[in-house]
Amino acid sequence: MKEKKNVKIALLAALFVGLIVFPIVDKNTYHQLALAQTLVNVIIVLGLNFITGLTGQMNLGTAGIMALGAYSGQLMVQKLGMATILTIPVAILMGVIIGYALGYPSLRLKGVYLSLTTIGFSEIVRLVITNWADFTGGTTGVQNIPALNLFGLKLDATWKLTVFLVIICAVLVFTAYRIVNSKYGRVFKAIRDNIEAVEACGIDVAGLKIKAFTLAAIFGCIGGCFYGFLMTYLNPTQFTQDLSANYLLMMMFGGIGSVPGSVIGATAVTLLPEFLRFTKEYYWLIFGIITLLFAIFLPYGFISLFQKEKREEAGIFKILNDRKGKRKNAGVPKSGGMR
Amino acid sequence: MSFAMIMQLIISGIALGFIYSMVSIEYTLIFNSTGLLNFSHDKLIMLGAYAFAGQFVLRMGCGYVVATIATVLSMFITGILIAKGIFNPLRNMASPIFAVIGTVIMGRIIKELCRIIWGATAFNIPGFMKGTFKFGSIVITRANTYIIIVAVLLVIALQLYFNHTKSGKAMHCVQQNKTAATLMGINVSQNINITIGISAVVCSIIGILVISLFSVSLTMTNMIGIKGFAAGVIGGFGYFPGCIVGGVLIGILENLSTLVIPSIYKDCVAFVLMIVFLLVQPKGILGHKK
Repeated sequence: MKEKKNVKIALLAALFVGLIVFPIVDKNTYHQLALAQTLVNVIIVLGLNFITGLTGQMNLGTAGIMALGAYSGQLMVQKLGMATILTIPVAILMGVIIGYALGYPSLRLKGVYLSLTTIGFSEIVRLVITNWADFTGGTTGVQNIPALNLFGLKLDATWKLTVFLVIICAVLVFTAYRIVNSKYGRVFKAIRDNIEAVEACGIDVAGLKIKAFTLAAIFGCIGGCFYGFLMTYLNPTQFTQDLSANYLLMMMFGGIGSVPGSVIGATAVTLLPEFLRFTKEYYWLIFGIITLLFAIFLPYGFISLFQKEKREEAGIFKILNDRKGKRKNAGVPKSGGMR
Repeated sequence: MSFAMIMQLIISGIALGFIYSMVSIEYTLIFNSTGLLNFSHDKLIMLGAYAFAGQFVLRMGCGYVVATIATVLSMFITGILIAKGIFNPLRNMASPIFAVIGTVIMGRIIKELCRIIWGATAFNIPGFMKGTFKFGSIVITRANTYIIIVAVLLVIALQLYFNHTKSGKAMHCVQQNKTAATLMGINVSQNINITIGISAVVCSIIGILVISLFSVSLTMTNMIGIKGFAAGVIGGFGYFPGCIVGGVLIGILENLSTLVIPSIYKDCVAFVLMIVFLLVQPKGILGHKK
């Protein structure tokens, strides 16, 4: 068992080193951009995983969170002449504010109502950014975003930014992993599965829900902040409902509620267009159909192929087992929908 | 600010409000029968508009009446297929999150299909429902008049269907208690299929009506889709009279708000109202308790 763990750690370390070396060696800017974009998406999906995957609160406002994280820092740089490095703490602060602002409604609202609130939040953010043209630049957006300046070390080339992103992303993945496997992660899952039981154990559900939202918003805002540096311009038309849906899709594709699943999902969905290029304009159609089949037949995502109990809880394996009659009458608790 | 102008704002608000009402009726049908929210309902409306304008009128050159009938029929079949392929399998999953994601992905697939079949550029039917009617000093566009008439007829037809036909009454039963409905010999899955089919028909009618307001494009229904949700919340979720009241109220308030705040923030009104209602009065204006 211990050996297996060591091998795992060694493999992860090798992957980390490989990812750092890759942008330095490969001078193709396009490859570097693809890697950087993947890392940004990984960060955001990790955040979404806390609230939707673990705690089971449906958040459809990721685009709004990302937009606020990106705009708050960049506008301060442009209007107040703030140092670019400070955009990261500003994004984190913004995340905390959003987390509390969205977390409080989540105490009173359940299921669909919460999804509608987050959609409303995201739309309001987008509309305000679009229409408050004097301050945010309106539809022309924020342009000419300066390079991130790390105390004198200017990340002015894509490969430098990518290396920095690899490090940040590794730290955040590790943090997320530790949180998921800590006391908090287990309580988050318990809130999803049986909220009454959690309350009966004397755990502060309200506080934990807000913590989950705050974590999600912080990760989302950091992702948004780096997204700005990566794209070098920000535009409200990027932050639509489709973007939020994309992140949900990534989470579901990899595996809901698991950190490796989120990483795999974000990577797969971001990089698949490159590999499925031969399908040309049919790409999204084909990809949509693949994910829909996943949702129906493998709802716990790609990662559940390697987890026996999850795999047999729902989807194709359950159907097959039911056919064989192997499954004894101890069924999955049926939920009556999102009421 | 003359009286006529305010009246005009109110009337166009009512017309748009009826669109929101129909949107919220269409997803309430699905919500009541399956307990799932169809997050891709705006894409279904868009599909209806594309089928009518792109396929039947512009490509095949049908008359408006024939095209409407063809659209409604094909959307009914689409709805039943969607119900069989997506809603019925997802309804019984362990967590409603999968169903939400499933409907979101379905919307993505429909959008891509529309883009591939009819192209990404926006288009319009020349001269469709254009022109105005004049009542004294108040001018009403032809489109708004038709919207109000069709919406009222649709609501009456749905009420008659639910209260006076056998399959309509069966749908009420399924909404209230699925197990009891099964015991009474109602085929729940089939019932859900038909409900979603009807919902798709309502979608197609909305799609045809909004062609004259927005041109046919891939993003035409984004706004009315989300505002339809707001209408349901404000009126009272899962309750038909609530949908109508909520929709019309949003339509009117949105238009009247341009007198007070800059008109570019008009779209925010619905969302702010929705969030306020969710936090303060989640039962909605009519206070209907399910």
